[in-house]
Amino acid sequence: MIANAKPLPAVDETSAGYWEATARGELALPRCSVCRQFTIPPTIVCPACGTTEPNFTYVPVDGDGTVRSWTLVRDAFLPGFADDLPYVLVDVELDAQSQLRMIGRFTDGPDSPIRIGDRVTVTFDTIADGVAVPSFTRSPR
Amino acid sequence: MSRRDLFTAHSRVAIAGYAQSPIVRHADRPLGAIAVDVARAALADAGLTVADADGFTTGSLLPTAGGQASIDGVSVVTANWLAQALGVNPRFASGFQGYGQIPGSVSLAVNAIASGAAEVVVLHRALHNPPRGRYHANPMTQARGIAQWTAPQGYWGPLSMIALPYNEYLQRYGATREAMAEVVVEARANGSRIPWSFWYDRPLTIDEYLDARLISDPVCMYDCDIPVDGVAAFVFTTAERARDLPHAPVYVGGYAQGHPTRHRLPTHWPLDDIMDTAQETCARLWSHTGLRVQDVDIPQLYDGFSPFVWFWLEALGFCPVGEAHRFVQDGGIGVAKGGLPVLSGGGALGNGRMHGVPQMLECYLQLSQRAGDRQLPQAEVGLACHSSPHFGGAVMYTAHPL
Repeated sequence: MIANAKPLPAVDETSAGYWEATARGELALPRCSVCRQFTIPPTIVCPACGTTEPNFTYVPVDGDGTVRSWTLVRDAFLPGFADDLPYVLVDVELDAQSQLRMIGRFTDGPDSPIRIGDRVTVTFDTIADGVAVPSFTRSPR
Repeated sequence: MSRRDLFTAHSRVAIAGYAQSPIVRHADRPLGAIAVDVARAALADAGLTVADADGFTTGSLLPTAGGQASIDGVSVVTANWLAQALGVNPRFASGFQGYGQIPGSVSLAVNAIASGAAEVVVLHRALHNPPRGRYHANPMTQARGIAQWTAPQGYWGPLSMIALPYNEYLQRYGATREAMAEVVVEARANGSRIPWSFWYDRPLTIDEYLDARLISDPVCMYDCDIPVDGVAAFVFTTAERARDLPHAPVYVGGYAQGHPTRHRLPTHWPLDDIMDTAQETCARLWSHTGLRVQDVDIPQLYDGFSPFVWFWLEALGFCPVGEAHRFVQDGGIGVAKGGLPVLSGGGALGNGRMHGVPQMLECYLQLSQRAGDRQLPQAEVGLACHSSPHFGGAVMYTAHPL
């Protein structure tokens, strides 16, 4: 094990489709097979339609969205992030569906001015061999 | 007074006494030993003995943020553990597992007494600050279960959790950290007058607040309550029995809880989620008690993180949504300034991380006229708010039956 490695996702049957896609540089989100609404993270009962058999499938989305909030993290509470301090986390509402929000690193860095309402798009941060984590970067104008 | 349409047990159950341990960073004794002493002291304060106690309840959630194992009697103290340690075989023992802890625990105590399941219920809250490691740090190398949706991205713990809706608020309403300084300085001013407080005799200035280290912008260290060891206990009994005991009874007028309905990432609390559910929590509170916001003399707002004070001010209707930052800067809160005494008990920021105990205790002390030199002249109706308004609740207390 590498010293100060970041926590790696423990891929399971509910998340395999997500992490396989990110490794390919693609954002694919869990969609209920009954009501076809996205839900992050996937769960036992679909929050949108209430089915107890949502059988979520991973469907690619473009990863564009709008910044709803952000924070500049100056203190690391998880291993592996100390060397990255300070880093910006953005709270993004995805275009794919109203109220569908993700949180990720803002890869443009702490010196890039950011405002609520800014447009961002997904990018991928490779943290280990074959493991890529979705992050966000400012959308090209 | 509007129609009271829900809570038929109002005024039937009262608090008869209390005890509070010193609030310290790390106690030199096991938490369970402190809890037993505090429970015995609370019963004695109420003019009762351990043999009178036939019910026990608590909320024993947390600390869990650091991933430490939870050990009963050491890092948590459950209702059953306390009863057994006191040598009691209780008729009723139950714990509330959700967030907010105290409204859920109070509802268990009140419902048990009002239904006749128990007559004297000890409600305690024991908080522990682990002796090793950092409170929120987690050494995970693998992010399992729902943690895999946030931890690999570096989103972890309650500081970034509150930073996101706080920043959302600042940007949306043009608020500033200068306005939040009013909240934190007020909590510390009042806490500095409380002998058991961790911050006793240590008020904070506006400049000290503004110069404090930022942890997850815009959250600075003084926006967060400090982790502590401490125990408080309250004795609940029937209104009839309480009237024969030494101290003036403080009645439970009603309570309301809320729970978020939107499915989110773990510890993701968008501002609109907080405020939308908050409206429901507070509407329930008013219809449950038949009281209005203007009736509340002693509103004790939860402040485990300072932005919650703004959220509660707006949710309860003390000021319009988006205006709490101006309200506090215009002298709307503050004992010395003649504003609302929303943190007269020092809150969590002025006592330490007692998870809602300071709000409950201040309502009890003021309404029973036991607040000493901090006693406020008008103290008939108290409201103790706990946790986030979308993930906790509030309890209404009255000095006289409603």
